[in-house]
Amino acid sequence: MTMTVQSTRFGTIEIEAEAVLTFPHGLIGLGGSRYALLSTDADSPFSWLHSVEDPDLALPVTRPWQFFPDFELMMSDAEAAALGLSEDAPADIWVTVRANENVNDVTVNLRAPIVVASRAWGPEAFQVINDAPLAAVRAPLFAAGDTDGSV
Amino acid sequence: MLSITRRVGERIVIGDNIVLHVQEVSGSTVRIGIEAPRAMPVYREEIWLAVKEENAAAARAGVDLPRGPLKPPEAQGDSPSS
Repeated sequence: MTMTVQSTRFGTIEIEAEAVLTFPHGLIGLGGSRYALLSTDADSPFSWLHSVEDPDLALPVTRPWQFFPDFELMMSDAEAAALGLSEDAPADIWVTVRANENVNDVTVNLRAPIVVASRAWGPEAFQVINDAPLAAVRAPLFAAGDTDGSV
Repeated sequence: MLSITRRVGERIVIGDNIVLHVQEVSGSTVRIGIEAPRAMPVYREEIWLAVKEENAAAARAGVDLPRGPLKPPEAQGDSPSS
């Protein structure tokens, strides 16, 4: 079943209702709890995490391993259990991209990745804090392959 | 802001289902245990602020994102055009 989403960047978008991600805790510091993952450019490594409630609210995202082959998500067993995440049910991982300045200054947030888990009732997503030691909040894409992105 | 003084082992209750335990004090460091419902995430403040800022910055992106795999400047033949 498709639904229509308004977007100030992309106009009117049709998406699958079943593909809408529900964020029970929202994104940290941002409003809204329902987002859709959009791929607007097949040649681009970036997708958009687009609010289905606020036409103006969208964040570029990418797969961390695309640029950081050594990326690792570490969280405590207690937290993983609280969020219903387990190694038996691998989840999709995305990271937000900060790409609004100089193209040479693009960074991704490896410290707070977005984890998408499949539930019986639809996809559920969380922005989690990554305990891995070298996970930077602003990891430069130009340093891809060099995991010492410190911030 | 409400300020409460506690000794190690004592607790603070917020609402009906959030409990802070003062578990250990060592020098200027305090170890705090937090019981909270699943619906209420708990963060160290500096991380929460940093992520909040990154999310807001990411959300300011315009429609045009960098294209293709990004390589270090010295590995590129031509400089990227915006």
